[in-house]
Amino acid sequence: MNLIKIIKRDQPSRTIFFLTPVLAIFLTLVAGGLIFYILGFKPFEALKFFFIVPIADMYGFSELLLKATPLCLIAIGLSFCFKSNNWNIGAEGQLTFGAIVSGGVALLFYNQEGFYILPIVILAGAIGGMLYASIPAILKTYFNTNEILVSLMLVYVSKLILDYLVVGPWSNPEGFNFPETRQFSDSARLPLLAEGLRIHAGIFLALAAVVISWFIFYKTYLGFQMKVSGFSLKTAKYAGYKGKKMIILVFLISGACAGLAGVGEITGPIGQLHREVSPDYGFTAIIVAFLGRLNPVGIIFASLVVAITYLGAETAQIFMQIPKYTGQVFQGMILFFLLASDYLLFFKIKFIGSKK
Amino acid sequence: MRTNLKISNVTKIYPGCIANKNVSLEFESGKIYALLGENGAGKSTLVKILSGVIMPDEGQIFLNNKALKLNSPIDAKKNNIGMVFQHFNLFETLSVFENLIIDSNETRENLRKKIKSIMEKYNFSIDLDIPVLNLSAGQKQKVEIIRCLIRSPEVLIMDEPTSVLTEQETIELFSSLKKFSEEGILIIYITHKLKEVMSLCDEVAVMRKGELVSISKIIDEKIETLANKMVGQNLKTIKKKKLSKVSSDQLIKITNLNFKSEDPFETNLEEINFTVNRGECLGIAGISGNGQSELFQVLSGEIISDKKSIEFNKNFIGDKNPQERREYLMAFSPEDRLEQAAVPQMKIFENVALNNFKSSNFFKNGLINENKIKQHAKKIISDFNVNTNNIELKSQFLSGGNLQKLIIGRELITSPDLLICFNPTWGLDVGAINYIHETLIKINEQNKSIILISTDTDELLKLSDKISVIYKGKLSKKMNADEVTSEKLGILMGGGEFD
Repeated sequence: MNLIKIIKRDQPSRTIFFLTPVLAIFLTLVAGGLIFYILGFKPFEALKFFFIVPIADMYGFSELLLKATPLCLIAIGLSFCFKSNNWNIGAEGQLTFGAIVSGGVALLFYNQEGFYILPIVILAGAIGGMLYASIPAILKTYFNTNEILVSLMLVYVSKLILDYLVVGPWSNPEGFNFPETRQFSDSARLPLLAEGLRIHAGIFLALAAVVISWFIFYKTYLGFQMKVSGFSLKTAKYAGYKGKKMIILVFLISGACAGLAGVGEITGPIGQLHREVSPDYGFTAIIVAFLGRLNPVGIIFASLVVAITYLGAETAQIFMQIPKYTGQVFQGMILFFLLASDYLLFFKIKFIGSKK
Repeated sequence: MRTNLKISNVTKIYPGCIANKNVSLEFESGKIYALLGENGAGKSTLVKILSGVIMPDEGQIFLNNKALKLNSPIDAKKNNIGMVFQHFNLFETLSVFENLIIDSNETRENLRKKIKSIMEKYNFSIDLDIPVLNLSAGQKQKVEIIRCLIRSPEVLIMDEPTSVLTEQETIELFSSLKKFSEEGILIIYITHKLKEVMSLCDEVAVMRKGELVSISKIIDEKIETLANKMVGQNLKTIKKKKLSKVSSDQLIKITNLNFKSEDPFETNLEEINFTVNRGECLGIAGISGNGQSELFQVLSGEIISDKKSIEFNKNFIGDKNPQERREYLMAFSPEDRLEQAAVPQMKIFENVALNNFKSSNFFKNGLINENKIKQHAKKIISDFNVNTNNIELKSQFLSGGNLQKLIIGRELITSPDLLICFNPTWGLDVGAINYIHETLIKINEQNKSIILISTDTDELLKLSDKISVIYKGKLSKKMNADEVTSEKLGILMGGGEFD
């Protein structure tokens, strides 16, 4: 009695390609509701607290944009790597190192004001991220190491460096031994977009990254080479593309984006360096990149969706006494269902009448 | 009791190709049987059927007059059919013993005892407790053999076992196989190496294009007769009409070219030397896996070699990558159309842009010049008879023949002095084959040169002016194509020699 038949598609379906992220989000909501139900909450009410209440007012919406900004920026950078078959999963480390370098520069100017400070701080963050991303890239090209392992391990190294700096040499001399640095001067802070809200000018960096990456992906030789390398490294080699150069380049771009996201965090809402510069934005951005199908426009939407899970988790913690790590559960479910529904890209399910 | 294995009227059809056509064979223990044939002759299919990996469309297998139903490799094992594949199925990071215990039901102590006794009996010396990755290819093969012997098999099938072995390891393997045979294990030995057949086996079955060509005793055969049976005889009639005007003007010269690979399944190239003149087609024959793919990559620049080892048009280009070599007017058509020569998920015109020669202006100042690319794509489609008028189509929707025409067209659009192609008609239908062959002949007529690496002997004899044979990474001397017979080629391809 075969009620369901699974048939291989001749070619991956284009429509399904963009529909599966939507399906994945839907399934995540269903599964999330189920989890809430099991925990003894009313599923619809809980989902409302999670996904609607946090963004119902202007402040909530601005917080959404605030969280989406680093996710979008990092995911854009990562898509350069992922599109060309390079598996950089250490964006969190690149973000942290970018924050360290730019924070260090900002601290140099802690008692000075001037229009030139912010550009230097931003640039320092990008360079820091690039430096940190160049480690897995160089090791991969010249020593054939696995970039997944190296970039991941370096995340923990960067967090330990940050830890050391904020409790040790860089800690605020007037800070009663709290693990944090001095406050940056106002000239080292990204301008706020509106009084009373935390949303800052970093969002323009993210939007610029979207536009520039779209142009590079679809209009330039570099984008073409990345596309070919992504489909088949053998073809890229046969076409004569300089593989090593490209590996290093995409890692640098990706590192710069992550570093800028780090800058955005410390010169935006935080205003100093402390232990927790990022609630794992660098890892979550991997989900964002794939949910957005490595497409710059898709990534905008994906970063907004995933940013809600951060806010929702906080609201849920306050109103429902659920640990905020529920947010990570939701992020995990999104990725899980996305990978699962990708099955539909290659196979279609046919329902056939029951045979007695 | 004597083991008797019978294959009765086995047929296996794949879409577009008959892998086995009505094959019947009978084997008895006490003898070593060779199954001989070129690539694509159907040997592997037959062996996969015997070991339960695939099921035949028609026909049956009998072991000791009992019909077997082999639905999976487990069934084959249960029926005492052991198989050692060409590529090892071992976990590299596990120890030898752990690898062996995985599919065994015995206790650790019993199994260890059993393995020890097998190793003593056949003089194998392998440390059971070191990881497999520390073993040589020959030792890994012994582990695979021990895995079969643990189950005291009645039939042992060896698929191209010497392809990764050294001379010494081959000698050891042969003496073991002879011992197994004396003890009553029926041995089926799959190979295309004629010398091995002559020195090891008692009987030989030759397959060609899915059919059984002959079964005979080794004592009745010579290397020459076997070569003829393997390659096929009536080929000489379809040679290309010789071009009178092959010049003596040298275009490419390869000197002492070496390539050493770290991958044991790749072939090292040793001291390759040859030249090709303008207007000449040099055919390189050989059974696949003898270094053709490595040779192609070295010639195309995917593998960089010593600068001076390749001289093209009076320039030393051994250290140039494929893109740079294209500027010197070389062109390349690799064997693998879908994984290498083209990207099936990309549109036709995008695939055209893979050959980005400077004067094409496909990419100007780093930007894609789509109009230029599309213009070129249209020209290729009409010049090379690609059967579509939609260059926005993804190339996966082109048939193999049309895709190959597109690739050859893309490579020839620069009117290169030399085209290097590797199995250009592999898997194509007759019409497309003819078109590609005509195109290649036309290139020669325009005084351009070709290096044709092919495993299809018919094709080589039809198109080449000169032929060399590659065997284990070494290239034979260049021979005049009209003096070459299929018999001679077969001997050289099987590693034999003649005066």
